Amino acid sequence: MLTALLLVPFIGAVLIGFLPIPEGSNLPRKLAFAIAAGLFAYSFWLLTQLDLSSASLQFVEYLPWAKAIGLNYNLGTDGLSLPFVALNGLLTWIAIYSTKENVQRPRLYYALILFVNAGVTGAFIAQNLLLFLLFYEIELIPVYFLIAIWGGSKSQYAATKFLLYTAVSGILILAAFLGMAWLGGSSSFDVASISTEGLSQRTQLILLTLLLVGFGIKIPLVPLHTWQPDSYVESAPPVAILLGGILAKMGVYGLLRFGLGLFPQTWHLVAPGLAIIGSITVIYGALSAIAQKDIKRMVAYSSIGHMGYILVAAAASTELSVLGAVAQAISHGLILALLFELVGIVEEKVGTRELDVLNGLMNPIRGLPLVSALLIAAGMASAGIPGLVGFAAEFIVFQGSFSVFPICTLLCILASGLTAVYFAILLNRTCFGKLDNKLAYYPLVARSQQIPALVLTAIILVLGIQPNWLLRWIEPTTNAISQTFSQPEIIATSQPHSPTIKAPTLTR
Amino acid sequence: MSTTLTQAKIPPSKHEFSEIVHRLEAGGSMLPDTPENLMQIIGIYKAYAVPMDFYWRDLLYIAERVFLNPLPAFKYFLPQEYLDLHNHYAGDDADLRIWRGEATAHPELLEFMEKGETFKGSKLFHHLWHDRINMEFAEACMRAMLWHQGMGGRFYDYLEDPEYIANADRAIKAYFKGNPLMLGLHKLFPNMFYEKVRELSYYSNLGLFWEVMAPVFFEMSDIYDEGGFKGVPDAMQFLVNGIFAVAGRPIYHHVYIRGECYEIIPKSKGFTWLYEAALPYVEAVFYRTAPFRGTKSYNAQAQQVPDEQKDFHYGILYADVFPVGSAGIPPTLLMQDMFHFLPQYLLDYYQEYCRGEDDILIQLGITFQRSMYNVTSAVIQALRTALLYPLDDPNPKHLLKNRQFFEMQMDRFKRPEARLHDIQNQEYR
Repeated sequence: MLTALLLVPFIGAVLIGFLPIPEGSNLPRKLAFAIAAGLFAYSFWLLTQLDLSSASLQFVEYLPWAKAIGLNYNLGTDGLSLPFVALNGLLTWIAIYSTKENVQRPRLYYALILFVNAGVTGAFIAQNLLLFLLFYEIELIPVYFLIAIWGGSKSQYAATKFLLYTAVSGILILAAFLGMAWLGGSSSFDVASISTEGLSQRTQLILLTLLLVGFGIKIPLVPLHTWQPDSYVESAPPVAILLGGILAKMGVYGLLRFGLGLFPQTWHLVAPGLAIIGSITVIYGALSAIAQKDIKRMVAYSSIGHMGYILVAAAASTELSVLGAVAQAISHGLILALLFELVGIVEEKVGTRELDVLNGLMNPIRGLPLVSALLIAAGMASAGIPGLVGFAAEFIVFQGSFSVFPICTLLCILASGLTAVYFAILLNRTCFGKLDNKLAYYPLVARSQQIPALVLTAIILVLGIQPNWLLRWIEPTTNAISQTFSQPEIIATSQPHSPTIKAPTLTR
Repeated sequence: MSTTLTQAKIPPSKHEFSEIVHRLEAGGSMLPDTPENLMQIIGIYKAYAVPMDFYWRDLLYIAERVFLNPLPAFKYFLPQEYLDLHNHYAGDDADLRIWRGEATAHPELLEFMEKGETFKGSKLFHHLWHDRINMEFAEACMRAMLWHQGMGGRFYDYLEDPEYIANADRAIKAYFKGNPLMLGLHKLFPNMFYEKVRELSYYSNLGLFWEVMAPVFFEMSDIYDEGGFKGVPDAMQFLVNGIFAVAGRPIYHHVYIRGECYEIIPKSKGFTWLYEAALPYVEAVFYRTAPFRGTKSYNAQAQQVPDEQKDFHYGILYADVFPVGSAGIPPTLLMQDMFHFLPQYLLDYYQEYCRGEDDILIQLGITFQRSMYNVTSAVIQALRTALLYPLDDPNPKHLLKNRQFFEMQMDRFKRPEARLHDIQNQEYR
């Protein structure tokens, strides 16, 4: 079942790339669109088939491949990965939809997008460490080209930076994986057979650090984030949607699955440090965003800030906080995609992203009223206004991690106030005010061009009002992960004299 | 009477808008003379005249019939009597036939009142669905005239006159006859109803002003359709002639109560159209009006609104039309009204530019601004004719006097908000 998720986009990419399609034909776009829509529908159907009473892997597929190096074609999914797969399908569909019809070199473009889709899905469903790494690295090449060929003026620089950073990230992860398998005495790289229990704490710590740095680059965490603003800003909007919306989530996923999942004992040791790094990331992202004059750069830094919440939540690793971390990753993917989509439309129509030039886009006749209205909704969702999915996710994070790291959590709450600050700046400069009569002859936003943003807004709103429709898939798995920890123990050791605060749980 | 002739006699103007001053001296308009401009302004005159035909009828209806109704819920429901009311400047029985068409309400207006944008339905339905003429705009113009007061003429002074108070008092008592509550109120707070009657006198004033302008604009549209206008100056000259032709028409306020006519401002007082209606109107509505709620802050500490009424500069000659359609921008009401009556050639024209039919309200608003610059030009030329010397006067001293007058008028457009500079450019749309 899961193989289809990989084969279909891969075959589609090959077809689009190599079939003799006449020049100027719209076929590549239509084909890519149909495939992405199908993938999203299929992964959504898989979600409905997920057995929520069990936390174990489902839809498992196993095929021995290269026995000598322990690489097996081992797929499986659970509540931690399947929502990401569905998000990947949705965002790929949106990226293809919001690509301009007259995009240059369409065959290469759509083939690469589908290729990225296959790679990302593969990483999420791989249950073999080497297989995961294979997919993790495979995605690197098409994304490099997507940034470099279709990006902005400094896209070469940004693409190279992205390539180098991600390659280093891959090397670190590979080193960690090799260490985990060889030192742990595992016969293969299958996740189920990996155990770190026999390792000394020092070895575990080194391996976990390698993983943390490797995935920390991808997430990204301060101070490993500097590739991110450049590559987000220089990418074309559809590519930025994929980059920020789903590729960065591979880091989150890897951290939770391999870091938290495979190093249950050592995680306690690094958790306080991680929480501090997380809260620094959150504050740093927010403060940097406040200083920006370019709306896309603002959104890029906001993305860094929102990733910090996830780290704090993962560090706390209570039932609620792990649930919150995954929910935050999904909600951030949706909100960031919406923001990039809208910023892309603004840039296309107005011709600038400068805060000092943009003005008055709420004007109902000459401005971009619907885009502005949705931008306000997206900004509010990102800032954590109740009723939108951002609040639901952040609140679970705060609720879950406060009992473990109260100060870091308070810093996160403070930063979510700063998020509101820079979004108020952005919205005030962009949407409010009055149009400049010399410049304001912007083209109309076609109705069809508004559809992706409307779809995303609808999802964000519905999940904000009914967050359980998001959480119910995730909760069984995250509960199982966090139960591998002896929760009361750390509380007892870190706060010996205070009464034990039971982390609240969601009732089901 | 060409530019070179005038300029040969006196040195060129050094004014910021010298080009426009020279154009005015040559008998031109503030609006550049291009076929595109002519087409635009005539088209919009036509689109403006149809709602104006409703405005003047309803203004008179309110001034004369609704009068002091404390709950005038149906004041925009024009009775047949007022739709059939004969315009004094159109039709066979006109005092001075300006428009060759019918004296009763314009057929396009009647059709719109019946069907609107939706479908044939009752007046009440169209009103509640807001499928109607935005009469509130006419009332806002009236209120601007009332509030700005003292802009020349004697009309406003007369509203304080004991004679006027006595006339109003009689009408008030007659209107509220047998209504002890309102009569008691009148006894307790006499100024309340006097002030209300003053407002109604301005209803009448503005209604009588627009009764002239509607047929003028209709006729200009007809002449243009027949190919009668050669350029923008021709169109302006027609307005100047129209102004002089009706300058002496009486301005009055009559009230009809139970079949009896009460003359609150009798025709015999000798108030005339040019001095008591046209000039105050141009000053109040084209130049001054009131700051838009959506553009300026009325906060006294912010000092955004001038202290002196003479410094108000929020009329159509200064208005920013781009925010039309937003909250707090009153001209939207008029733009929406004109939108229903655009001639086909203007609709086709707007389709080709900017956002086509999606931003017609703004495009037509800018056209309207152009056309009002032309009307203001006509008023300036008319004033010059009345107060100063002909343009082809052989005496250079006289020509210098004319120039001073023109330059003084242009001084008012030196502030940055003025759109005089913008309308010189065809790309401003």
